[in-house]
Amino acid sequence: MKQSWHREAEASIGRGVTARRFRLANGLGLISAIDRRAPIVALQTWYRVGSRHERVGATGMAHLFEHLMFGQTEQLPPGEFDRLVERTGGESNAATWVDWTYYRLSLPARDLPLGVRLESERMQHLVLEHTPVEAERDVVTNERRERVEDDVDGSLDEQLMAQAFTEHPYRWPTIGWMEDIRALSLPDIRAFYRTWYAPNNATIVCVGDFDEGALLDLVASHYGGVAPAEMPEAPHILEPDQTRERIVRLPKPIATDRLLVGYKAPGQDDPDWAVLEIVATLLAGCPSARLYRRLVIEREAASSVDAQLTPFVDPSLLRLAVTTARGHDADEILREIDAEIARMVETPPSRGEVEKAKAIAETDFWTALVDVDGKAEALGHYETALGDFRKVTTIAERLAAVTAEDVARVVRTYLRAERRTIVIAQPEDPDADPDAEGDATDEAGA
Amino acid sequence: MNPVIIVEPSPDTPLVWFDIAIRGGASADPRGIEGLHRHAGLLARRGAGRRDRAELDETLDAFGAALDVAVSRDAVTLSGLALSRHLDAVIEVAAEILAEPRFDEAEHERLLRETPQVLDEIRDDDSALATRWFDWLCCPGHAYGRTSLGTEASLAKIERAAAIDLWKRELVPGNLVIGLAGDVDEAGAAKLAARLVERLPMTARPEVALTIPNSTARARRVTLVDKPDRTQAQIRIGHLSSRYGDADTPALAIAEAVLGGMFSSRLMQEIRVKRGWSYGAGCALRRSRLPHWFEIWMAAGIDVAGPAVQLTLELLADYSAHGPTDDEVDFARSYLVGAMPFHVATSRQRMQLAVRDAVFELPPGYTAKLPEALASLTSSDVRAACKRCLAPEAAVTVAVTTAEQAQRALEAAGAGALTVVDHDEY
Repeated sequence: MKQSWHREAEASIGRGVTARRFRLANGLGLISAIDRRAPIVALQTWYRVGSRHERVGATGMAHLFEHLMFGQTEQLPPGEFDRLVERTGGESNAATWVDWTYYRLSLPARDLPLGVRLESERMQHLVLEHTPVEAERDVVTNERRERVEDDVDGSLDEQLMAQAFTEHPYRWPTIGWMEDIRALSLPDIRAFYRTWYAPNNATIVCVGDFDEGALLDLVASHYGGVAPAEMPEAPHILEPDQTRERIVRLPKPIATDRLLVGYKAPGQDDPDWAVLEIVATLLAGCPSARLYRRLVIEREAASSVDAQLTPFVDPSLLRLAVTTARGHDADEILREIDAEIARMVETPPSRGEVEKAKAIAETDFWTALVDVDGKAEALGHYETALGDFRKVTTIAERLAAVTAEDVARVVRTYLRAERRTIVIAQPEDPDADPDAEGDATDEAGA
Repeated sequence: MNPVIIVEPSPDTPLVWFDIAIRGGASADPRGIEGLHRHAGLLARRGAGRRDRAELDETLDAFGAALDVAVSRDAVTLSGLALSRHLDAVIEVAAEILAEPRFDEAEHERLLRETPQVLDEIRDDDSALATRWFDWLCCPGHAYGRTSLGTEASLAKIERAAAIDLWKRELVPGNLVIGLAGDVDEAGAAKLAARLVERLPMTARPEVALTIPNSTARARRVTLVDKPDRTQAQIRIGHLSSRYGDADTPALAIAEAVLGGMFSSRLMQEIRVKRGWSYGAGCALRRSRLPHWFEIWMAAGIDVAGPAVQLTLELLADYSAHGPTDDEVDFARSYLVGAMPFHVATSRQRMQLAVRDAVFELPPGYTAKLPEALASLTSSDVRAACKRCLAPEAAVTVAVTTAEQAQRALEAAGAGALTVVDHDEY
């Protein structure tokens, strides 16, 4: 069977571990990386389908599959998938985001054949019937309640994306709007499965203690006969340039204001993305970070500050998340953020400051590759989102090459008030009209 | 007396992790001054030797390193992460924190202002709030029922001198468990561990006497933590159970897995799969040095909070009385034995498990060897442990939800007398 594979690429992903990409004639990708330090394997199947591939009115579809894919197949009765995995001591899980969905199996090395059989079975033969779909719909609505409706950070996050994007599918939440989750129809669910769950839309990533030749034979025997599907044209929706600050305020049962500030940022493959990653670290990614020191330590105006750059294919956001301290409010925090960003433009970081952020990035890079699951996630993400697993090291190289001048330039370019969206959660007014509770108020900013 | 030293070398990455556990922890806080261990640990991290807080942060960040303080019921732990080429320098900083913390007055005052805001953040988070109330109410008087974070009242009583005294008393080599893992060899690790303790006083390890009341004679009771606008109820149900490491631990590991430790478990199947009432449902015996809680958790829709509590209590009562079936025991044993390689796959995991075992005063390798103990267990052993260690008649229930919608159903759930408290009441 080995001859049916086409070997495409190879790269080192750390000490003593080499990853190789192979492809079958039907388009299925396989990334193999042998790591014999423990008798286990990480077997992940990445599909190039996420919430961005949904349509208005049917949001949450990609995430619903994260649940349905553990259900009945033609060969497996309900519940059997989990029982087979758990009997080995292994674990199964899945994750959905804007650009991808992946299914994760962590298995004892001897049970790799079981994992490949299970994954190929559910790629081809998932049974989608009314009763199990309705049961999972209830579970997903409860998941949404737990993570969004009853979670202030979850609801802020959802509102930030909804306000920051007006055209691009990043504007709806991966879990979907509640009314859409409730309305997804069985025919649409079946059509989504037939469209996206196909070998030419998937990459299998296997990291751990196995024989590569045996893995190639195994995967070829289970997937070689699976016909590719006709993939829809990738939606290419450009988000219009943001030219005005957007602000939304939400009343919540909380003690102090919380705010999320999202600055429009490039996609992960843009060279400036790595520079902004360094900027995020310099602002709030370590105890000596500028914004953290200013807000938490010097002014004592915030109890927490975080900065994150989302690793999306298309332009997304650099997000600052702040919880204000007692006696302070979101407007004061915004003034402090503006002042710190202005200072970053006026007094660009020294070479030493940038080297500090790069050292932190180096530690983070290695931390992500410590175990087989982490290695598989990194390989799967870069292969699926950016088209090449070798970008694991490309991004690391870009981070290592960032200069103080780069930092000054991207701060001037991206961290501008007119390019940002602000979502603020504020303590509810106990005297407010109860009918008005939960309504957001919009403001046009500068 | 020397510290316990654990080394797990591995050249997989150019990283080294180290944990320095100071035995004692929040359960040893003086009564009425809850939060003192946390306060002392965090304060020590905010300046040591010649470096004030800002200089210390700058030094560590420049190495790409991290040094964080975590406080559990049983230990205050200083955890480090460093690129191996900077390990020497980072260990030196850690040694200064252990031996020469500055306990700056200004940082002491700042930390006293910061901590109540962490209380606010817990209040804003339904899951954390449910856990905090459950800890308080599960077994009144138990050392683990006292908050490691402190309360507004206890924080007001913390004095800088008390933090300094605590550090002097507890920072002695014999009270430490030091673990190193990663890109460091045995000999190098031994030298680094020696440097960490060389400036500490060689005084005796402090004795801590903790009381554990027996709460199993108490009746069921339920507390509704009233919070507006909830769509769900964050639910905790449980009671005081046995100590991790006692004779029942292997049997209870199987019992826990069958009831709520796997996706195939009874709770997950009954609550999530059959009824769709909650995204997740599970249970665990909390692992600690002293007997701790057996705890069930879920987040049920507000409209089904009462039925979810009622069903869970029925499941618990049935399980306590009859235990798992033979097939369930075999399945859970297979799962637990097969899962162990995942818990010891990396050097860091192996080190942290060994440090935890030492803090719990268990024999070396206790947790890693649990699969051997599971092999010899019979179904009867597991069923007997369920009868001994599960106490559905004394189950404490906490639900963070909106009383207006959920109170009547919770009163009818068979969970015992219901008390309503406001979510601000803490």
